[in-house]
Amino acid sequence: MSFVQNFPFFSIIIAMFSGIISSVLDGKRARNLCLSVIVLTTGMSLAVLHFCVRTGQSYTYMMGHFPAPWGNEIRAGILEGLTAVLFGLVMFFSVTGGMDHTAVDVETSKQNLFYIMIDLMLSSLLALIYTNDLFTAYVFVEINTIAGCGLIMIRQIGRSLSSAIRYMIMSQLGSGLFLIGLSLLYDVTGHLLMSPAREAVAGIEAAGLYQVPMLVIMAVVSVGLAIKSGLYPFHYWIPDTYGYATPTASAVLSGLVSKGYIFLLIKIFYRVLGRENVIASEIVNVLFVFGLAGMLMGSVHAILERDTRRMIAYSSVAQIGYIYMGIGLGTQAGMVAAIFHMFTHSATKALLFISAVGLYEVSGNRKDFRSLQGSGYRNPLAGIGFTVGSLSMVGFPMLSGFISKLLFATSALQSPHKMLPTVIALAISTILNAVYFLRLVITLYTIPGDSPENKEKELANKEKAPEKRPVLTAGTWKLPLAIISFILLNLTLGLYSQPVVAWIGSGLAMFD
Amino acid sequence: MREILLAAPVLLPVLGGAGMLVLHLKDGGEKNDRRLMFLTEGLVLLNSLVIFWLLRYRMGANLVLFRLFGNLTVRFGLDPMGGVFAGLIGFLWPLAVLYSFEYMKHEKRKQMFFAYYVMTYGVTAGIALAGNLVTMYLCYEMLTLVTFPLVLFPMTREAKRASRRYLYYSIGGAAFAFIGLVFVLSFSATGNTDFAPGGVLDLDAAEARRNLLLLVYVLAFFGFGVKAALFPLHGWLPRATVAPTPVTALLHAVAVVKSGAFAILRFTYFSYGTEFLRGSWAQWTVMAAALVTIVFGSTMAVREIHWKRRLAYSTVSNLSYILFGATVMSPLGLAAALSHLVIHAFMKICSFFCAGAVMHQTGKTQVYELDGLGKSMPVTFGCLAVASFSLMGIPLFGGFISKWNLVQAAFACEGSWLPCAGVAVILYSALMTGIYMLTVLVRACFPKREKQRTETEPERKYRDPGWMMLVPLLIFAALILFWGLHSSSLMRLLTEIGGEAG
Amino acid sequence: MEGNIRLLLPVVAPVAAGIAVLLYSGFRRVRKPLLAVVLGILVLETILLGLALTGEGSLLLWQLTDVVALRFNVDGVSRLFAVLTVGVWLLAGVYSVAYMEHEQEEHQFFGFYLIVLGVLVGLDFSGNLITMYVFYELMTLTSLPLVLHERTKEAVAAGLKYLFYSVAGAFLALFGIFLLLQICGNQTFVPGGMLTAIPEGKAGLFLAAIFCILVGFGAKAGMFPLHGWLPAAHPVAPAPASAVLSGVITKSGVLAVLRVVYFVVGPELLRGTWVQQVWILLTLLTVFMGSMLAYKEPVLKKRLAYSTVSQVSYVLFGLSMLQPQAFVGALSHVVFHSLIKNALFLCAGAVIVMTGKTQVKDMKGLGRRMPVLLGCYTVVSLALVGIPPASGFISKWYLAAGALASGTGIWAWLGPVVLLVSALLTAGYLLPLTIEGFFPGADWDGEALERKAAAEDQKKQEPSAWMLVPILVLTAGALLFGCFPGTLIQMLETIGAGVL
Repeated sequence: MSFVQNFPFFSIIIAMFSGIISSVLDGKRARNLCLSVIVLTTGMSLAVLHFCVRTGQSYTYMMGHFPAPWGNEIRAGILEGLTAVLFGLVMFFSVTGGMDHTAVDVETSKQNLFYIMIDLMLSSLLALIYTNDLFTAYVFVEINTIAGCGLIMIRQIGRSLSSAIRYMIMSQLGSGLFLIGLSLLYDVTGHLLMSPAREAVAGIEAAGLYQVPMLVIMAVVSVGLAIKSGLYPFHYWIPDTYGYATPTASAVLSGLVSKGYIFLLIKIFYRVLGRENVIASEIVNVLFVFGLAGMLMGSVHAILERDTRRMIAYSSVAQIGYIYMGIGLGTQAGMVAAIFHMFTHSATKALLFISAVGLYEVSGNRKDFRSLQGSGYRNPLAGIGFTVGSLSMVGFPMLSGFISKLLFATSALQSPHKMLPTVIALAISTILNAVYFLRLVITLYTIPGDSPENKEKELANKEKAPEKRPVLTAGTWKLPLAIISFILLNLTLGLYSQPVVAWIGSGLAMFD
Repeated sequence: MREILLAAPVLLPVLGGAGMLVLHLKDGGEKNDRRLMFLTEGLVLLNSLVIFWLLRYRMGANLVLFRLFGNLTVRFGLDPMGGVFAGLIGFLWPLAVLYSFEYMKHEKRKQMFFAYYVMTYGVTAGIALAGNLVTMYLCYEMLTLVTFPLVLFPMTREAKRASRRYLYYSIGGAAFAFIGLVFVLSFSATGNTDFAPGGVLDLDAAEARRNLLLLVYVLAFFGFGVKAALFPLHGWLPRATVAPTPVTALLHAVAVVKSGAFAILRFTYFSYGTEFLRGSWAQWTVMAAALVTIVFGSTMAVREIHWKRRLAYSTVSNLSYILFGATVMSPLGLAAALSHLVIHAFMKICSFFCAGAVMHQTGKTQVYELDGLGKSMPVTFGCLAVASFSLMGIPLFGGFISKWNLVQAAFACEGSWLPCAGVAVILYSALMTGIYMLTVLVRACFPKREKQRTETEPERKYRDPGWMMLVPLLIFAALILFWGLHSSSLMRLLTEIGGEAG
Repeated sequence: MEGNIRLLLPVVAPVAAGIAVLLYSGFRRVRKPLLAVVLGILVLETILLGLALTGEGSLLLWQLTDVVALRFNVDGVSRLFAVLTVGVWLLAGVYSVAYMEHEQEEHQFFGFYLIVLGVLVGLDFSGNLITMYVFYELMTLTSLPLVLHERTKEAVAAGLKYLFYSVAGAFLALFGIFLLLQICGNQTFVPGGMLTAIPEGKAGLFLAAIFCILVGFGAKAGMFPLHGWLPAAHPVAPAPASAVLSGVITKSGVLAVLRVVYFVVGPELLRGTWVQQVWILLTLLTVFMGSMLAYKEPVLKKRLAYSTVSQVSYVLFGLSMLQPQAFVGALSHVVFHSLIKNALFLCAGAVIVMTGKTQVKDMKGLGRRMPVLLGCYTVVSLALVGIPPASGFISKWYLAAGALASGTGIWAWLGPVVLLVSALLTAGYLLPLTIEGFFPGADWDGEALERKAAAEDQKKQEPSAWMLVPILVLTAGALLFGCFPGTLIQMLETIGAGVL
């Protein structure tokens, strides 16, 4: 047993404890602690990834050496390591990028609370990734929900409170369904650890028993996690939540939290319910249809939206739709595409939220996207960041979005019935994405013409300019660092996707 | 690794243009202007020289720049067909830049304008030199991005709308072209999308899913057709005329729209292969689409009274001539399409430059304002006359040659009545061309007497533009005549390309 | 370039001279040198033409593409049309000297006048379809400024109408030409046609293409349904221009049709097909309709234009019979109508210049003031009606005889009947001017008008010699050819024997 194999457990625990410690620290220290913990855990995940790639195997880590069926297990493979690394990176840059805003948006007395929530979020995400135990998963799902609520609520303005409550209710609904699914599964199989449960399920399937309960389990688990990850039509909590939270929170929630649940769902599909059973049950077809609907409707909503951040949030609905569509294809390639898109989306969406902040600041912090007119010139880097993010979402070659689009399309070709709907939906959704993202990009780079009506408008705007806040990030390195890193992340995923995709493939192979 | 030079015509302008964007030269002032001019013209000329050097010495070279994903590589290759397009833009760009300097003299934000103008050069060269479908797709997308700031350039409300529409249409088209890319990748006999004369489809595998592949072909045809302004996806082109004339002339009459047509040619003849498509319902569908566009474009051009928009509609119809040639799917069809691609470039850029010269000198944009200008700007309108006659397809002018080839190809195409109808459509369009081009000429050169008398005095002050605008105009007019009188060498080259790929 | 290089001169010389006249600003203000140059070139042209026609010959002009060659080839038809063109041009040119005095921008008129001459000679010389098409298009474009010359609102509208009808016709014909070229290549014209049989499997398309050519080139010849430009364009152009438009340029449409039917396709292929039937129908319809419209028309020049519509279709009718006698009749009518209609238009122009009157009803008592002019008018009118021994009689005789012998069923007798009715109508629309001019009636108060004219210092009665002489020459021609048609008919019969 190599020392590295302990790292998954360490990283979860360290994140958790740092949260506890932070409660007695002041805001600044808590922040520094939080950042170092993120760096540390990411480093550990990297080591785990390296270990798994080198050995070419996954391993199960028994906590306290209690064997199944009593103990609690952690499992790490290439896919887990990779996901953890990427989540860590996104988390780190989201926190750095939004740091200055956090300092202003959040009351000084509650600064440390914010970072506690981040720590808990990190810990729960890592747990969702690594765990091999269904009940542990449930526990961390709840922790995750609570941390998420805290992150939303901590910016104490009316809308964020109401959206936090909405988030709470929807999440609880999802968790509840998930819990029901788990209980049923435990009833049927008698196991909560994934590997034995898998064997039990295989036995049940072979014997042809419990067909209806198994279907119910699959449905309830899928729907529960789908609600939590915001699959269309369960998306109503998304726009408010992402739209009114602090920038860091928005980036983390949209980029990571929903992905954690999706990752968990995939893991349950593979490791507990069995891929073949899931495909046979036609649950995938339902997910596929909802995914397609989400791809299109999310974009339509985004087009109708005027508030920039809500627009980006609705775009998340569409992107989640992509991911579920990939899962719904029911093929290995589709799953690879879905997971790759998960990465793409976390990297890109966080970039968009963070860049949007930079653009807002130089435009008087109004919500309407038209107020951003010309801001691409006032904050060039944020403008470029936003443009790159948009292009990636539209699927511009050399950026990560293109690769996921390509993976989706090529994997769709393997399933004869879903091929045409998929490619056509991809094309239409690309157009819709282009409509709202590039509309915004054009706005960033237009300057008002010299016509008299424009001048009048400008004067009027100046008079009623609402809150003149100082430009917070001017002159600091944090926002630029975050934006540049996200751009690089995007480019890396776009240009050197080959190894990533290969790792995803072998990681999925290890799931079986 | 001497082949790395193959990427130079693409990278040089793109990086150069990006550099111009980043590097903040001072705007305004004659000295700064001149510096900008030397920089731009030098860059463009250098690039053209590189292109011609490559054409001369490195035909058939290949370069894999990097690997995008799996079998998808960014690969440049120089074959005769790409060479024709590369040579065309390599010739046009320096002249257009020369013209732009005088045209843009009084504009602000020149640096941005020229930066994107230069970048577009690189991207278009990329399309010409693309060695596989992925590279072409990549450049196709890039082209949208580097040209939309140029449409946006006037920053008026109209320009904003136009550029937005341009973006949506182009990206949407690319989205459908993407489907084609994926299918070619999946059904390719070689496992990649490299262009090969006669197509790369694995015919056995493709035959099994024939109808699906044909449907995809139609989708991709329309996808690439967006840039080629195929009806009903043409809407962006007439609106994009809000851009400064050098942009409309070079980009929206040649570089961008021809890229669309060129992409369709590549896709049809070098990816799908005509053997698979010939005689299928897909062929007739796309041919019908091209014909409808020809009729629509030329009819709308007659109805339009804004001069540049009228020319834009004319472009819409003329591009579909190229597409019509492409859809004939025979060696002769490809040769005819390419010949129209080349010759139309000269005719249309010449017409647009005339319109631009008039706008620049007099500020007049509507057709009905042009009365009597022929007297004050004889050279400009002389060139316009040449371009108009050529567009109509009068023998001795270039346009006749390409029409002649198209008709030959159409008559040789068996299996449907559509090609014959195509000939009729081309002639109908020629008539409409006569109407919309010659009314302008007649107005300008033979104004009604009463009017002329009252407006003689103020019109005296209008003159032909300066040499930087006139030289390109004259060169283009001369070349139109040259192609009309001596096209054998060009046609021999194009027929060879056609024979190989058809 | 190989062959009889002299063929090039009569084409190039006027074009070059015309361009020089247009571009050289020295001609803009002073009149005399301009006129000297123009008349000099016109005279030179006759000499050049004579030189060119001394030898039978052909000339390869230019290899446009590998397969498409531009070629001159002179045969009997070329000679006939070329001589006619140059002769008429010279006379109308002389006339213009006086006529254009009251017009603006003479240099423009004369410049294009010369260019069109060169182009027309080129058209007459054309040795294959493409060459013919080239010059046909150029003719449309270069003759446009002649129509536009007055630059009034109506002139510009009429000019555009002329342009669009011609171009539409040309493109319609081009469809057929493309197909013919596809089938038989771009060969030099062969008397009697190049094809031996209608290509198999393409009969429908082939005949449709021929029909397109007939209708398309028929536009220039004013054949229904594309005749609309004629009555609009002729009246607005200056009189010499309308004279040549009506006398010569309409005939180029005839020439083009003739070339296609008799030298490319071959009359045998068309005989009895629906194309011939419809063609005959169209020509007869045009003949009748043109006469009727002319009869109803009050404006003199417009009336003459309608008359042209009707008369040129006589020629086309003759061609459509595909019969030697009718063919001779058609070609002779080309010559005669050309002379007559030129004379008529020049007369009308003279009246306009001298009195400013355009309506027929205002011209009462004209014979009192200008008897010579009206005399000429009367003579050529009678010739056009077809009163022997004037020339019109000869051509109509041949046309009718040919039609009767053509064996085309109902048309064999319906044709001559229509021609006869039309002749009556012709008399009906041309002769009232003579009658009212010479015999204004008892209640006509000529004295008052004369007093008024004297008060306005319009002493001059007849137009000047520059105007009168060409009219007299044309009138004489119209008469003499009628009296002594032998040589001409003989020549035409030779041509006819070659093609039929």
